[in-house]
Amino acid sequence: MKEKTLRTRAKIGNEMIFLPVVIIALCVISGLINPRFFTIANFLTIFQQVAVLGILTSAMLMLLVMGAIDLSYGALIGLCSVILCNLISVQGVDPWLALLIMFGTALGAGALNGLIITKFKCEPLIVTIGTSYIYLGFAQVISQGTYQSIGGAFPFIGTGKLGLIPMPMIVLVIVLLLMFVFLRYTPFGRKLHIIGGNSEVAFLSGIPVKAYKLLAFVLGGGICGLAAFVLTSRIGSALPTNGSGYELNALAAAIIGGASFSGARGTVLGAFFGVLLLGIVNNALNILGVDAFYQTVVLGVIIVIAVIFSNIKSK
Amino acid sequence: MVEKTVDYLIEAKGISKIFGGTRVLDHVSITLRPGEIHSLCGENGAGKSTLIKVLSGAYKPEEGVVAIGGKEYPHLTPLIAKKKGIEVIHQEIILVPQLTVAENIYTDVPYRTAGFFSMKKTCEAAKKLMDEIGIQLDPYETVERLSTADQQFVKILKALAPNPKVLIMDEPTAMFNMKDTDMVLDLVKNISKKGIGIIYISHHLKEVAKIADTVSVLRDGKLISTYHARDGAVDMDQVTCDMVGRPVDMFYKREKSNTGDVLFEVKGLQLKESDTPVDLYLKKGEILGLTGMVGSGRTEIIRAIYGLDQRFAGEIRKDGQTLQIHNPHDSIQNGIGYVSEDRQKSGLVLPLSVLSNLTFLKLPLKKGLISTKQEMDISEDMIKKLDIKTPSMFKETGMLSGGNQQKVIIGKWLHKGFDILILDEPTKGIDVNAKFEIYKLLHDLTKQGKSLLVVSSDMPEVISLCDRVMVVRDGKIAGEFTGGEITEENVIKSALEVK
Repeated sequence: MKEKTLRTRAKIGNEMIFLPVVIIALCVISGLINPRFFTIANFLTIFQQVAVLGILTSAMLMLLVMGAIDLSYGALIGLCSVILCNLISVQGVDPWLALLIMFGTALGAGALNGLIITKFKCEPLIVTIGTSYIYLGFAQVISQGTYQSIGGAFPFIGTGKLGLIPMPMIVLVIVLLLMFVFLRYTPFGRKLHIIGGNSEVAFLSGIPVKAYKLLAFVLGGGICGLAAFVLTSRIGSALPTNGSGYELNALAAAIIGGASFSGARGTVLGAFFGVLLLGIVNNALNILGVDAFYQTVVLGVIIVIAVIFSNIKSK
Repeated sequence: MVEKTVDYLIEAKGISKIFGGTRVLDHVSITLRPGEIHSLCGENGAGKSTLIKVLSGAYKPEEGVVAIGGKEYPHLTPLIAKKKGIEVIHQEIILVPQLTVAENIYTDVPYRTAGFFSMKKTCEAAKKLMDEIGIQLDPYETVERLSTADQQFVKILKALAPNPKVLIMDEPTAMFNMKDTDMVLDLVKNISKKGIGIIYISHHLKEVAKIADTVSVLRDGKLISTYHARDGAVDMDQVTCDMVGRPVDMFYKREKSNTGDVLFEVKGLQLKESDTPVDLYLKKGEILGLTGMVGSGRTEIIRAIYGLDQRFAGEIRKDGQTLQIHNPHDSIQNGIGYVSEDRQKSGLVLPLSVLSNLTFLKLPLKKGLISTKQEMDISEDMIKKLDIKTPSMFKETGMLSGGNQQKVIIGKWLHKGFDILILDEPTKGIDVNAKFEIYKLLHDLTKQGKSLLVVSSDMPEVISLCDRVMVVRDGKIAGEFTGGEITEENVIKSALEVK
């Protein structure tokens, strides 16, 4: 019995007990105040709204597990967005080629972050704050400060539906499932945990720490590119600031879900709950008609409370 | 002579401390007089640290009371204890590495000019304090530039700065090599001569025998015995017996195993061009001890063999084949494993479970993905085989005791499979019972034909565990002993260059 409890807790983490309770409580309260909250359409909307954040959070979670972080994701989303739209509508490049270039940029940006961090043994936090300005700057250079349209390309990925289910939600679920399998069941994923938990042990155990780190950053960049693709397709145009703030929300969601700056901790399910919590709070505040400026305050308060509680729980 | 309570600097009267239903201390009473060195002995978990924390006001006892200078303090706090002249030197480094020696000694800034911190006055005071007890350090030096041994001295000075009446020292020699240990012991004696009472905690019974006026033994939270040196020399075998609760030999006894042919050879190993080449070999089923003073170069040699550090020259051969070893990965591929000295820093992934730590070197795969079921089978098997005490295989390794943590590390290598295992201080900080379990485990490995290279400073360990011992001094092999030649005298003489 005790074995089983410990095993379950080891598998899913303490946050899994606390977060669903909070999420359900929030739903019940919102639903009681405004019954419109409890409609299928509204829940689908929530999922559509959190899809981009959820995709990005899976990348952030992977890096946190490895004991790293990438704060350039917000800027990178902006850059990818701008490149995609600029190539299609200004340069007249074939949309598929534009998409390829965009993904190339995303992977390259991840690789650049990873290379600087592994080659020069720098703190990921500072490096990626630095590169975020580089990516944002390039986005501004390319866009010249103007809105650029995606020119009607790829509407399906951002606004399409499969039956009732919005496409972004499907992409999100696929990404989360893949990340779940990757982190839990592949040797690479397990070794990221070892590196994050104790990189000295990883090195002594013959794990090529630098190569693994670099690869994780590249993969993270790719996932960030996917998030940018979904976002751009949904809103149909690009601004350099398209992704601003996403990196911190993704970080908050992952941490609320049980990840830790010190590495080796965190699960995809937890991160998903974190994302869902942020999405539901946002949606509920909208439906309840809370003033937009106060919404930001409330969101901040909820993030802080969630972090405090998940910390108490995990002790 | 009838002793009055007032004579005691500090007195624990029937102290009991209960944590979550467990009696960590059970009616323990001890006393300390001026100038007395009172040694507390006991295995890990016997209650020594808890007792110190009660004496220094960090824990409030459920029963009993602490009296300082004859006055009882039922509500003792760390602040009151400090004011009454009780100073504790903890094992952990509590210094600020970036500050100077003098600044570290006087953290509350007592020496000022016009209200502002005066470096000059502080350093002068520090110098004076050092002269009094015979320590030579530059007060202007920053602590991070000092050796670990000198940092320990700074800690002692820092505790002496407020002129304490009682000094509590927790394993003060843990960071020192043999030569410096004697210096520390002299220092402790000097301090006691100034009339300061000292409570001295150490695992090293030899040190205790050298300096203690009184020896008290704790076991499972109970005070088992108290011996006074004035009644004749304290019998350390009896003390060990009291600690463990059953008669034990201080030495682990093993039947020496049959060693086979030479399996592993290191020839002409030089870390730098100027080094004298080092040669060593290891037979199948043999335990080779590599000993010497701390800083003699033992760790450097095994690090170079394992491929952690660059080497200037040297050939590594196994089964007559030259190995290309440039990093740990190469070593592991060639059947060499490494158990580092620091379990917490470089041995375990503390936030991960026993299971994850056991299996990650060789993950069981099914269709390219990790098989959780097989992982659980492997872990269950290993936990049984090595008798790892853990509530569950899913428990974080950070929650295990030192001995069990070490077993997890050895289990990890067993699962991976190896021919040669290099172990650096395999039983450091592990209590006697667990130590013997590790020895037995290592011995069993040699029976299976595994070869072990053990670096150790623990003399009884070297003597009782190893088939052959090589002594390292200044990066060179200074002596080699086999079988009956392995005696404490031989080893120490060769380690210290005593003719």
